[in-house]
Amino acid sequence: MSAKVVLISSDDEKFPVELKVAEKSILIKNMVLDLNPDGLEEDFEIPTPNVRATVLEKVIEWCEHHKNTVFPDEDDEDAKKSAPIDEWDKNFLKVDQEMLYEIISAANYLNIRPLLDAGCKTVAEMIRNKSPEELRKIFNIVNDFTPEEEAAIRRENEWAEDR
Amino acid sequence: MFNNSNMLSNNHSTNNTFEMTDIDDADTNFQELKESLVNIRSRRSEIQTLNYRNSPLLNLPTEVLLQIFHHLDRRDLFSLLTVCREFSELIIEILWFRPNMQSDMSFKHIRQIMSLPPHTTHWNYRLYIKRLNLSFMTKLVNDDLLSLFIGCPKLERLTLVNCNKLSRTPISNVLDRCERLQSIDLTGVTDIQDDIFLTLARNCPRLQGLYAPGCGNVSEDAVITLLRACPMLKRIKFNNSENITDHSILAMYENCKSLVEVDLHNCPEVTDLYLRKIFLELSQLREFRISNAPGITDNLLGLLPNSFYLEKLRIIDMTGCNAITDKFVEKLVICAQRLRNVVLSKCLQITDASLRALSKLGRSLHYLHLGHCLLITDFGVTSLVRYCHRIQYIDLACCSQLTDWSLAELATLPKLRRIGLVKCHLITDNGIVELVRRRGEQDCLERVHLSYCTRLSIGPIYLLLKTCPRLTHLSLTGIQAFLRREITQYCREPPPDFNEYQKSLFCVFSGDGVNQLRNHLQQIMEDRAYALDQGEGQPQLDNPPPMGNFGATGTNDEEGISLWARQRGLGILRDNNEMTPNEIQDINREIFTELTQGDGANNQQMTPGERAHQQLRENFTRFIRSQEHQRFSQRAMAYGQRRGGVQIMNGIGSNAPQISQPAVFPNEGQPDIPIMNDDEDGDVEMSATDLFGGTNNNGA
Repeated sequence: MSAKVVLISSDDEKFPVELKVAEKSILIKNMVLDLNPDGLEEDFEIPTPNVRATVLEKVIEWCEHHKNTVFPDEDDEDAKKSAPIDEWDKNFLKVDQEMLYEIISAANYLNIRPLLDAGCKTVAEMIRNKSPEELRKIFNIVNDFTPEEEAAIRRENEWAEDR
Repeated sequence: MFNNSNMLSNNHSTNNTFEMTDIDDADTNFQELKESLVNIRSRRSEIQTLNYRNSPLLNLPTEVLLQIFHHLDRRDLFSLLTVCREFSELIIEILWFRPNMQSDMSFKHIRQIMSLPPHTTHWNYRLYIKRLNLSFMTKLVNDDLLSLFIGCPKLERLTLVNCNKLSRTPISNVLDRCERLQSIDLTGVTDIQDDIFLTLARNCPRLQGLYAPGCGNVSEDAVITLLRACPMLKRIKFNNSENITDHSILAMYENCKSLVEVDLHNCPEVTDLYLRKIFLELSQLREFRISNAPGITDNLLGLLPNSFYLEKLRIIDMTGCNAITDKFVEKLVICAQRLRNVVLSKCLQITDASLRALSKLGRSLHYLHLGHCLLITDFGVTSLVRYCHRIQYIDLACCSQLTDWSLAELATLPKLRRIGLVKCHLITDNGIVELVRRRGEQDCLERVHLSYCTRLSIGPIYLLLKTCPRLTHLSLTGIQAFLRREITQYCREPPPDFNEYQKSLFCVFSGDGVNQLRNHLQQIMEDRAYALDQGEGQPQLDNPPPMGNFGATGTNDEEGISLWARQRGLGILRDNNEMTPNEIQDINREIFTELTQGDGANNQQMTPGERAHQQLRENFTRFIRSQEHQRFSQRAMAYGQRRGGVQIMNGIGSNAPQISQPAVFPNEGQPDIPIMNDDEDGDVEMSATDLFGGTNNNGA
């Protein structure tokens, strides 16, 4: 049995993971490479102090599922932007908002670009075609503008609504 | 009354001085003001703290929030803008990064907002503008409009394409203190003078792109000052200038080591003296254009080794540089093996040898302009087409030695979108029919230029229209057969500067005009087919032509008769189901004989009358055989008519190139390169609305 990467959550839970799966995180990949230039010979522990066990478990599930997926070129911004969310990812991200943001934060911290993208697109979907009032409700935000300010801002930027 | 929104904007705008002046001027008790300020601030921070606690979305790091916003369009950003302060601070920068000046409505909205004094708006929006493109509403762009944008310190890109009402002073004023400016596009701006160049030199050390084709009035001193002050320049377009000489090129060579694009169209004083060095030292060069410069010779590439040296060079345009010869092209092809666009129009010494050299570019070559290269022949075209399968655009205007052979060869290019054969007067109906036959239905041709191919008639053009659904441009100026009202009613307006004679010859169809012409001809054909199906039986060629289709103009002239006869040709075929393989072979033999011996002398014999009718019928026979009349073609197949055709081909044994070679195209399915805009016989012109690639258009 080959050596594994052991991820340790903020609440001290240990997750032994196949290197190929853990490498979906560029942060971990680089760390493993830097500290084990001759390859993994024994289990290698990496603490992820920002990520709770429940979240880490989800992230590892994602990496496991995508361990053989080849993702398109990092640099191709336009292609990345226009591509729809992968069906499996869509279902995978059907979680409550708090969990969604924690997954996004973890993906950002661990540098897992495709997961971060899917998360951001999911949030963008939640924002699309909503009024400010609806948005405040969805995201639990209280309006901190005065009515005059709000009116002025809308008036001065209404061009953004034009097609 | 004291204005809340002014107060608050203090916290959001870096432009505090404006706000403070405004407050001082207000007739307000200072104590009162201070209290209300403290009040508002505490209230706000309370709500903000609450929001932070309650909304996990707000706790995401800024870079992640920005990435989420990146997936939204402007309308959604506008909704988010007034959700809370936290978001508005991020979104206002995204919205104004590139104000949308593309539609009438938003243009006027933005103009209205920019006309307000900056301290009366919620934010000073000028501080956020990084890209400004005024080329969508050029009619509305004047000096007053541009002056609204004075004082945008973060401006990075300024695009003023075709803003021809602008004068130099407001342009200079906008540029003042734009120390982050990276590119400016002045294409179509007419009042370009020294002060604009000197302002750029003084303020914009990071300038990378300068498109100023109308810089003919700028002195060479100003050009050199600019080149010395802007060492990061990558893309330069100086056109139509007699002031630019080798001194400018020397300054370019000495200071601008990152050049990737140099455009010197119509700078006749420039020679290859220092350009040679640029080619030697700046091997990253991607695009090079110069025209009408007699001092450009084969020596331009003289310093280069005989190897793949100019790896990045994709576009070269040497229009009207008469001194260059085949030697230049041969060297060019060795040094720049990945050339995509080659323009050698009006290089009068170019011969078939250049075309043979260019064929070595193989599938790299997409765009070729050889207009007015009078020496090239069918043989050159043939050798080129055999190896360069990916040509999308080819112009051979005024290559008057070319015959139907070239057309038959060009027909085999699977990606061909634009073909220019203006004034190739040896081209005949046979060539067009052959083109149509070889390309098949649902063809990808988009623009076809056949003006002054005086031998063409309506029938083959109908076939072309029928098989090319994507056709958006068809020019037939100066061809007698089309200069009749029922055809020209669909043609677009001649340019206003044409004289009466030119207008009388003008016949160009574009956009919907192409569809209308197609429908019109289609209707005529269907009417005829219907009449025949109704039992008119075997039509007689000597019957008088029906007046119905031509009654509108009252034409009962030769053209009317010939069109009518063509319909008859179709009619005969539709009715005559009993055509024997022998008859088909006879027709094939004649057609192929014509094609293989398609020199001028032979074609001269084609005069109106019985022989022309016969020939037109043949053309339709072939077209219908291969495409239209399925019943007939199945029957013909059963008779082994295909094999018969090939045998005839081999039997002729002409020394002309074989026209029946199979088209084999490796590497299908590779992504297409975007086609370039081209205009009627125009020179190669890149789209100039945005200087650099990778820019998206939705402001996010």
